[in-house]
Amino acid sequence: MPEIIIRTEKLSKNFVSKDRKGFRSKKKKVEALKDVDLEIEEGEIFGLLGPNGAGKTTLIKCLTTLLIPTSGRAWVNGFDILTQDNLVRASLGTMLMGERGLYWKLTGRENLDYFGALYHVPKKVRRRRIEELKELLELEEFLDRSVETYSSGQKMILAFAKALINEAPILILDEPTVTMDVPTARKLRRIVMDLNERGHTILYTTHLMQEAEELCDRVAIIDHGEIIAHGTPDALKASLVTEETITLEGVIPQKVTEDIRSITGVKAATVTSEEDGRTSVSIVTEDSRLLLPKIIEKVVGNGATVDFIKPHEVTLEDVFIAKTGRALNVDTRVVAEREGGPSGR
Amino acid sequence: MAHRGFGLARVGLLQRLSTFLTMSKKTIMEFSRYPVAFVATFAQVFLIILMFLFAAFAFTTPGSELAQGRQIAGVMVYGLIIQLFLSFTLWEVGFSVREEQIRGTLESLYMSPASRFGSLISRIFAILLWTSVMAVFAVLLVSLLVNGLPTANFLLAMVVLLFTIFGLMGLGLLMAAITIRLKESAQFLVSFLQFFFIIFAAMFFPFGVLPDVMVDYVSRYLPVAYSVDAFRSLLLGLPAGFPELLPLTQEILIIVLFGILAPPVSYLLYKEVERRARIQGTLGEY
Amino acid sequence: MAVEKLGLTRMSRRSNLDIVWTVFKARILIISRYRGSLFLETLIPLVFAALPILIGLSVAGGDAAASANFNRQVGTPDYRLYMLLGAVTFVVVSIMLWIVGFWIRREMEMGTLEAMYLAPAKRLYLVSGIATYAFLRSLIAFAIALGVGSLVFGVNPFQGEIALATAFLFVGLIPLWGLAFLFGAFILKVKEANSVVNSAQWVVSFFMGVFFPIAFFPPFLQWVALSFPPTWMNNGVRAALQDLAFFFGTWYFDLAVLFVFAAVVPFLGYSFFLRTEHHMKKNEGVGQY
Repeated sequence: MPEIIIRTEKLSKNFVSKDRKGFRSKKKKVEALKDVDLEIEEGEIFGLLGPNGAGKTTLIKCLTTLLIPTSGRAWVNGFDILTQDNLVRASLGTMLMGERGLYWKLTGRENLDYFGALYHVPKKVRRRRIEELKELLELEEFLDRSVETYSSGQKMILAFAKALINEAPILILDEPTVTMDVPTARKLRRIVMDLNERGHTILYTTHLMQEAEELCDRVAIIDHGEIIAHGTPDALKASLVTEETITLEGVIPQKVTEDIRSITGVKAATVTSEEDGRTSVSIVTEDSRLLLPKIIEKVVGNGATVDFIKPHEVTLEDVFIAKTGRALNVDTRVVAEREGGPSGR
Repeated sequence: MAHRGFGLARVGLLQRLSTFLTMSKKTIMEFSRYPVAFVATFAQVFLIILMFLFAAFAFTTPGSELAQGRQIAGVMVYGLIIQLFLSFTLWEVGFSVREEQIRGTLESLYMSPASRFGSLISRIFAILLWTSVMAVFAVLLVSLLVNGLPTANFLLAMVVLLFTIFGLMGLGLLMAAITIRLKESAQFLVSFLQFFFIIFAAMFFPFGVLPDVMVDYVSRYLPVAYSVDAFRSLLLGLPAGFPELLPLTQEILIIVLFGILAPPVSYLLYKEVERRARIQGTLGEY
Repeated sequence: MAVEKLGLTRMSRRSNLDIVWTVFKARILIISRYRGSLFLETLIPLVFAALPILIGLSVAGGDAAASANFNRQVGTPDYRLYMLLGAVTFVVVSIMLWIVGFWIRREMEMGTLEAMYLAPAKRLYLVSGIATYAFLRSLIAFAIALGVGSLVFGVNPFQGEIALATAFLFVGLIPLWGLAFLFGAFILKVKEANSVVNSAQWVVSFFMGVFFPIAFFPPFLQWVALSFPPTWMNNGVRAALQDLAFFFGTWYFDLAVLFVFAAVVPFLGYSFFLRTEHHMKKNEGVGQY
């Protein structure tokens, strides 16, 4: 039985935010995390999924001791985040969202050396480690240039290297692939899997469901500061097996989606993408065979045109839709802003 | 080629005016969200004045006339007014461009079709408003301390100030252009220029105490020096020996030319620098 | 298993010193890539000293009168040296405050403050690295500005009790460190560093009596000025070199006061800094700006 390496107990975090309108402002409380209970096992890749503003970054910042939670407790690598914060930090290699956190006037190598020292990595070991990382992440080309000359992808890779400098047992990666191009992101995922095989535990946040399915042993879905589902991707998908999903593509007005939702037996209907006037609607039903005729009737009767219908395999995205009634990639930012949650940077 | 309109964007004159007002409001709103800075700048003006008066006091001849004290205070505070306008246009215009560059808001500003000139002018406009408040505050404070300051030739002095401000706006634009090019180093240049003008445009003392070499080889080539000289000479009621650099009419002529020429020339330069930055893609770089 | 409990981290006294050294070295590297600021640091004290000298000349109406009047009011005819010493001491104070204050603000903007907080390095060592750097830089600026200033204003700074003046300077630097952290904590909170730093410089120069003896102040302001350590440093340096009065009449009382400040202020400043930091972590976090 693997040991629990990260554990949270009823972890909550409230922010006081100021709403501003012109010269007036008023304070209001935002609950960024609500009683989060989480257990991450040693040696797994654990995915934290959720739209922007769901509380992923807040949770990560609490675990990395950047924020002090309002209530609740948490342990990382056996250390209490409140009373043993230095040991918690020593146990972690962290890459926060965005490529901030590098010295622009220093070269990549100088940055790595600097942060290595801050992690108490002895000088000789540091040098060796930087060479290793140069090989592993293919940094030769830009390691000795000053960071201000980097492309944003290069900055992200360097930020990733920085997270690896102390070879920490636990890696926390907050949306690491967000500004990377496709091949670089693929390379990063491969390295993450390698590191995991060598025994590192990895906490990985993303809002890309495919990425989570590809990478993670277990995932937790977070929304509005609450963990709404967790388990292995397969188990989560299996929980929807009694339900079936149908995707419709074509010219489908918003009102039609609402009509579909009103059909008894339809559990959820959500627009998952909208491009060039073509809409894709994902419908979760109890029995697609029984309901499909009714759905088609509603659609055609309302002046929509459907070019393509496919029943499809359940994905984590469907899990999210079934739990929240919303799609992950569409709308989420609007939701985050409306909720006033501190959206991840 | 036919185009399909501009979406919701309206490019008429009225909309331009409203864009300008929105932008000015944004700048003023930003000021209001930095209350500490707001108080700090006032405190700063207050302290600078007090400090120079105390320093001056260390050199006074016992029993010297109050009138002489007033003249000295006048030289200082009227110089300070020009200095305030200068430093705020140099700092705030240059610096806020830089700040936006760092935060990445500069690029989003450029992506909107709002006229660049409008965006700059509105920024400067808000800053001028704020500086004027400070200038009035400084004058009131000093008149309180020395029992009233001379305010002769008020209208003409205001005309001088107005043209000086136009000219300084040109300098501000120039500074914005330099900031885009020099990035980080621009801050040092701004600080340097501030000190440079304080000494060479004799902002807190008469030109008479500067070594002749400095006046002849540097001060006389600075339009701002004439502004300082004419502005305070006028308000002090043209006492003997003032203005110090040139006869008043010639000084005013220089100031008017400065006010008329500096903004368009700087604007052209600014456009050019901006164009190059866009060619090289260095606008959002920092 | 290949991975150790704390990865490559080895916490030891040596690794702590390594942090101090690395932070110091990184600062030196970074500043060496911003050349303009070094130049400006030499220029500022010169302008600062020139201003009151020129004002003095205009008020008194000539060098001889300025000398005589200044001697009557302040107690030394050498007003140029007086102003230069004030200006260079001020630069030391300003660099200490500026470096720490601006450092915090800058790192916040760049996101490196958060990156630093992720590391298991104790604040004390990070801060010691910065402080060492600030010490060195302010002393270099002091030496250069005094050297160049003496040439420009034609004064001789090597007179009077040089060793005593040096003692005042060095002891005076220690409480400055504490003040720098009070200031840093303030900036962490208000996040309006530019204007605060700018204005703070004037507040500091006003109260430490850069241009005039604080005896010119009304009694209340004198007390405010005396509660501020740089005032004692400034007065001590001048009194030692220019044979002016110490606040308590004798040098050892004044130096003792500065020692007390040196013992107390750093702890006050540092603990206040830690408290502010804790408070921020409980609220919005240190990365927000």
